[in-house]
Amino acid sequence: MRITVILRRVLDPAGIVAHRRLRRLFINREEYILQPADRCALEVALRIKDAGDAEVVVVSGQPEPSDDTLRRGLAMGADRAIYLCGESFDDADDAVVTSVLKTVIGQLGGADLVLAGATTLDTGQGQLGIRLAEALGWPQIVGVRSVEAKNGRLRAVCQDEEQFVLVESDLPAVVTVCPEAVKPRYADGVRLINVYRGQGEMAESLETWDVGDMMSADELVPLLESRGRDFPPERTLGERVEGTPDEVAQTIADALRQRLRG
Amino acid sequence: MDASFLDLMMAQQEESFEEAEGGGGVWVVADVEGGQIAPVTLEAVGAARTLAESLGAYVYGVLLGHEVTSLADSLYQAGADGVRVGDHPDLDSSVLESRLAVLADLFAEEQPEIILFGANATGAALAPRLAQRMGGGLIEHVTAFSLEESSRAVEAGFPVYGGDYFEIRACPEARPQFLTIEPGAFAKPFLDEYRKGDPTVLDVEPAEPATRVLGPAEGFEAPRVPLSEASVVVAGGRQVGDFALVRRLADRLGAHVAGDRGAWDAGVIDSDQIVDVRGTTVSPDVYVAVGIRGDTFHNAAMESAGFVVAIHPDRDASIFDVADLCVEARPDMVLPAILESLR
Repeated sequence: MRITVILRRVLDPAGIVAHRRLRRLFINREEYILQPADRCALEVALRIKDAGDAEVVVVSGQPEPSDDTLRRGLAMGADRAIYLCGESFDDADDAVVTSVLKTVIGQLGGADLVLAGATTLDTGQGQLGIRLAEALGWPQIVGVRSVEAKNGRLRAVCQDEEQFVLVESDLPAVVTVCPEAVKPRYADGVRLINVYRGQGEMAESLETWDVGDMMSADELVPLLESRGRDFPPERTLGERVEGTPDEVAQTIADALRQRLRG
Repeated sequence: MDASFLDLMMAQQEESFEEAEGGGGVWVVADVEGGQIAPVTLEAVGAARTLAESLGAYVYGVLLGHEVTSLADSLYQAGADGVRVGDHPDLDSSVLESRLAVLADLFAEEQPEIILFGANATGAALAPRLAQRMGGGLIEHVTAFSLEESSRAVEAGFPVYGGDYFEIRACPEARPQFLTIEPGAFAKPFLDEYRKGDPTVLDVEPAEPATRVLGPAEGFEAPRVPLSEASVVVAGGRQVGDFALVRRLADRLGAHVAGDRGAWDAGVIDSDQIVDVRGTTVSPDVYVAVGIRGDTFHNAAMESAGFVVAIHPDRDASIFDVADLCVEARPDMVLPAILESLR
């Protein structure tokens, strides 16, 4: 079974400060971590690999100071890593990444299962995996908690309103994984060292593919463009709630209900 | 000036009016929740109305489900100019393919300019698939927008890192523009009971589902979310009086129980429940501080919370510096009433 996992990176929120009064974003420490949901997707893939025979390929295409994202994936247990690069690819949106990934999966000779994160830590956009499902014409299961693959079928647990339900699908399929789905494993120490030194069986497993060779320039034009940032208003002193205990309780209960809705 | 010249001028004016109307309007895909139109759909219709008025376009609602035709009235009342209804048993369940097929056919014919979804499970599953099929751009979890009039593109803002700041994106060329509207971000429109209309019924051809729901997942328990990633936290301190009330409030809100160092000293919480820079730093959407005075260490560990409610008997307690709602009262006086109101 061939599993492709899409990995993305995100600026560590501990290293940035959004300054409301100056309306600026300060990056104190530019450190990238794996998107938590993508890390869970990789863990799900590795659990399928542990339970049976599977090859796990991790793919990443975001520019970063070092190719940490993929090396971490390899250290956790992936068999092969593909780093996509290309100048015009740097500011790609999810629609462009989708068409590139479709080509990559084609060049890898297809896949039985594609796993991606259901959301991102920073922008909260969950469209990449689902767009890819549509582009490939495969079924999708969104926001799963656990996955089991057997005899060409896939069974996943996902949340439906209040309860968890079991969903079945044929393979190949695209599955997006919740960020809190599973506890990702720690990277194996020996693998980690070998991945960074480029030694042993790891030496050949990190490949760099140039997106410019695979796609025409027209296909790399993003649909969306950034129009800047906005900041919430500066924090002011809170509102004092006065009145009888019952009135106060009603105000608090209404406020809590409104914040917790949806 | 002869009459034919006037005719010509009027014809030109009519033509330019039709051009200005452009596209196929602003469309809202409705959601049904418990036999009613979902609140987020009404909010989306309100948002669509604002967009449509700036664009000089019409607002349309699409209502898919089983035995939902009577709900079309609420969409008209909220501000829709036209409603399309697809009423079929297959559209009721969570079968994605049937809904997708109906929407794709409809939108291919109508060529909408903007399509709005609610940012819930349905919107999250449908909007990206439709956007990919129709070659449109999609911006998810939109909380605010403005219109760039020259390109008729929506500049939509969505929260980044849970609301630390907002990123603004636009889709300048590709049409339709897809947006999913965050629940609660836009005001619910006034429901005008005198607005009425006659919905158009759509032909529904059920599609073969690609995934099957087998039933409840027996014996599956989601792993416990650690306190540092909790979305709702109820924390108690020295002035709480009866700590059982804090636990009951947490139960009622589906929240994590925590406390400050004082609560730990008193032995009512474990060491992994201390909210403190030396303990756990939290950034939940809602933080309720009950009887916590709020020293520097505690406040620094929770100040990135989205919404803070503080209850403390001392008017000068420093927790009130970081709270959004401040109640100056003994917790055991107000907590029972709050529990009663939340019932």
